[in-house]
This record gives sequence, structure tokens and C-alpha cells, in this order.
Amino acid sequence: MTISFYVIYWGVNVLKLPAYAAFCLSLVITIVCGLGIEKLAFQTLRNRKALGFTFFIFTLIVSEFAAYLITLLFGTEPFTVFPYIFSPVTPYAGIIISQWDIQAIFMTAIVIAAVYGLLRWTKPGKFMTAVANNSRLAELYGISSANAYAMSICAVAILSTFGMYILGTKIAVTPHFSLGIIIFAVAATVMGGIGNVFGAAMAAIVLSLVQGFSVLVIPSQWQNLLLYIFFFIIIIFMPSGFGQFVRVLRGKSG
Amino acid sequence: MEFIYSILILIGLYIIIAVSFDLILGHGGLISIAHPIFVALGAYTSGMLSMYFGVPILLSILLGAVFSTLASIALALSSLRVSGDYLLIASIGFQLGVLQIIKNLDFTGGHTGLINIPSLIEGPHRSLYYLLFVLAVAALVLIGVRKITYGDYGRAIRAMRDDEVALVALGRNIASIKLTLFAVGCGLAGLAGGLYAHYFLYLTPEQFEILESAAILTMVVVGGIASTWGPVVGALIITALPQTIQFLNLPPSINAPLQGLLYTTLVMVFLFTRPQGLLAAKEMGTQVNRKAPPTDSVEFNRGASV
Repeated sequence: MTISFYVIYWGVNVLKLPAYAAFCLSLVITIVCGLGIEKLAFQTLRNRKALGFTFFIFTLIVSEFAAYLITLLFGTEPFTVFPYIFSPVTPYAGIIISQWDIQAIFMTAIVIAAVYGLLRWTKPGKFMTAVANNSRLAELYGISSANAYAMSICAVAILSTFGMYILGTKIAVTPHFSLGIIIFAVAATVMGGIGNVFGAAMAAIVLSLVQGFSVLVIPSQWQNLLLYIFFFIIIIFMPSGFGQFVRVLRGKSG
Repeated sequence: MEFIYSILILIGLYIIIAVSFDLILGHGGLISIAHPIFVALGAYTSGMLSMYFGVPILLSILLGAVFSTLASIALALSSLRVSGDYLLIASIGFQLGVLQIIKNLDFTGGHTGLINIPSLIEGPHRSLYYLLFVLAVAALVLIGVRKITYGDYGRAIRAMRDDEVALVALGRNIASIKLTLFAVGCGLAGLAGGLYAHYFLYLTPEQFEILESAAILTMVVVGGIASTWGPVVGALIITALPQTIQFLNLPPSINAPLQGLLYTTLVMVFLFTRPQGLLAAKEMGTQVNRKAPPTDSVEFNRGASV
């Protein structure tokens, strides 16, 4: 995410490229970095049957490495993709909606539909799901797990470039910014049920709404605490995510 | 010389933190990474008790450790119903939640931090005496943890880590073992926090963020997980080596990220060239030889490795 944002920023503000060209450049560089990490690091760790927390250390360390490298190149000052973040606003039924909001919702919907299509109707998507469920069994059926992991990394690189483009046009980003976002992403993933892409998307929307509307009840500085409390309770009592809760409710009503 | 002393004191404190973390992670197999929050709780409790209530500093350090122990029991009672990666994620939630509380309270200093914490030792040789004191505490902690992990109780701890079901079948109460490990490990982390607060005299919530968890985890893994001297060596290397850049007298805008780059590069090099750590645990080493899998990593009985 950090790499995606800073390449877009560099493309637009230093190389003076049009936004779409900077976006494409960022996409290419993020994919190359992602594949490099997959090939050189994740594959090695998987071959060693490394524990989950070794992956955890490695991903944190790589994120930190990227953040420090970018601090060295760009400094700690926060940047947005464009010099101005204001976009025209229109009131709809008493709610102010900006052009950025509409663009962001539209782009997010397209990306989610594309992920759905990839996983549901394409062979590589089905292979990715198979490897995620049971890589050894998938290998027995002739699916290359190495290719599936590489595909996953490419998909992640594309999604994070989209995400950081949308975010970077509205919010100022610093080199260590992404580490905070990833916690939100992990919370949404767990709450949605690990392995359930749309559950994660729904959980992200629910979390954002809860955080947003909590301002009506509690002071804004406590908004993040609400996220962590949600996060902790879900992990402890519903480690399989909201889906588990819904299944329990259905079971009781049945 | 003051700078050298402060680095050595930091190494001593990290030895206490890494050894106590290894007790939970390496010996107990409990993958919780919320350790820095217990350092923070010890540091803040001790600092505030001495600042606001005039409690004698040594007593406030001990009370800080007690508070960390109580907080760890609260975490353990609620979260030990899950294990593995879920415990890891739950511990992140706990750590970030408590940090958020510290950031938002006025009496903790909020985002700006707690300042004017009284010093434990005053005088011209303050740093030297503090260094000796911290090293003595670190040595006692090391001896204590070794005593716990190499006695009868230590065998029960390792048995729990390797096969919980078998240990329950033998009639042992694993919940009490887990709770004890958490309480002792986190209490020691709180002790280190108190010692930190009364030497550096300034605390901010940012010092105990998730990156600090990665640093402590790294010390244990680089040094050698579940070994006596591994966390000591890990704390020494990970704390001292990035500081060598200080002697280049670079401007702060270059110095800080360069230190970070050196630290992260070091960790990656160790992670891939010596995954079992610099000092692999003896009992694990023999286990690897006995089973003889063609792997370059330490193998736990539960079928995964570092």
C-alpha cells in the first residue's frame, strides 16, 4: 500500500504524468514488488513450513523497511496525490455528497465486482480458492500452488493500488500510514470470516458505519477504541466471524 | 559516555523484556504479541504513582509490575479460549485498545506523553549506577526464568506447548499453567517498563505500538527461541547494531530512517540465513536431530517450525 501510494504521488507530482499513467506505473511497480516478495520470501517460508507468527514478523518487517526507505526518499511530511483534495459537492435529501464520494463508491463497486468475477467464474480464481482451502489436495489435482499464490499477490497488488489511489486523493498519507490501515483490514477480514471476501467487504462497511455514527454517542477520539473492542470481542467469541453468529441465530430460529 | 550508558541500559531492559516474552512464546507456545502493552502499563503506572501520589520510586516500580500482572490475567482469562493465530490477533486488539485508552486520557499525558517522571538514582554517576542496577535485575530475571523452565514445572510447560491434549490426559491443569506463564512474563515486562520510566523520565504511547511488538518478537527469534541465552543475544544485537549509525553524525532526517533500514535489513538477513536463531535451544536441537527432517528450521512437535 505504501509503495502503491508513493509511486502514484511520484508519478503525478515529480514526473508530471497524467493520473492514469501514474496509476499504471504504480500498478506495475507494486505487482513487481509483490511478486518479488512472494518468490524470494513467502515461498521460502512456506517451504520451511514456517509458523504463522514468522510470516507475521516478516510482513511487519518488510512494511517497516518500505516505510523507512520511503521516509529516506520523501521525508515524513504527509502528501496527497493531487495538491487539492476538495471536490464539488451536491446536497441530496439534506446529505452533502461530493464528487469524490461518488467516484470512490463507483470504483469500489467495480473492484468488488471484478474480484467476485475472478473468484467465481475464472479458472485462476477457482485455483486460488482451491489452494487457499487445501494446497496439497489442489496440487494432486494438477493445480500449481506457486502460480495460485503469484496470482493472489497480483490481485492484492491491483486492489491495494486502487485503494491507495482512492484514499490518496482525499487523505494525506505518511510513510507509516499503511500500518494503521492494515489493522482495520485484519479486523474486517476476521469479522467477515477468513476466506470470505464479501464477508470482509461487508464487515469493512459495517465497521466504518459504526465508527462514523459513533460520533453521535461518544467523543470522536474514542472512535478507534470502539473498533478495537469490536475486534477483540469478535475474535474471542466468534473466531469464525459474523457468519458464525448468523448461523447460530438461524439454528435457533429453525 | 552518557550515550553509551543509555544504550547499555536499554539493552539490559530489552534483555528482561525479551527473556520474559520468550517464557510466554518460546517455552509456553502462547502466541501473544501484546507484550509491549504490559511494558507500557508498568511504566505508566509506576511513573504516575511516583508523580501524582508521591509513592517511593522502588515501590512504584514494583506496583507497576503488579498492575501489569493483573492486566495480563485479565487478558489471559478472556483470550486463552482461543489459540494460535487467533490468540495473536486478539492480543493485537487488546494492545491497540489499551494504547488508545492511554492516548485519550489526560492524566497519562495523552498523545504528548508523560513528562517529569522522577529519577530513581540522582547524582553525577547516575547512568553508571543505573546500568549496574538494571544489569543486576536482568541477571536475576534470567536466573529466575531458567529455574522455572528447567525444573519439573518447566517440563510441564514444554509438554503443554508440545501436546496440550496429552498433558490434560495426565491430569494437569493447563489453564493454570497458561495463566501463570502470562502473569509471570507480563509482570516482568511491567518491571522493565517501570525501570525504563525512571531512567528515561519520559513516556509516549508511540513507544509501545505494534512495531515494538515486532522488535521484541524479532529479538527472541533472531537470538533463538526457547533457549536461555537466545533472547539475551537477540536483545543485544537488535538494540546495539542500529545504534552504530549514530557515530556517523548524520542529520536526524537521514539518521532515523537509516537506523530503521539497518534494523529491518538485519532482521531479514537473520530470518532467512539462520531461521532457528543464533543460539538454537538445546532440547529442540536434539529433537530435530532425532527426527532428522531435512529442514533448516527448529521443529516443534505440533508440526510447524519457526
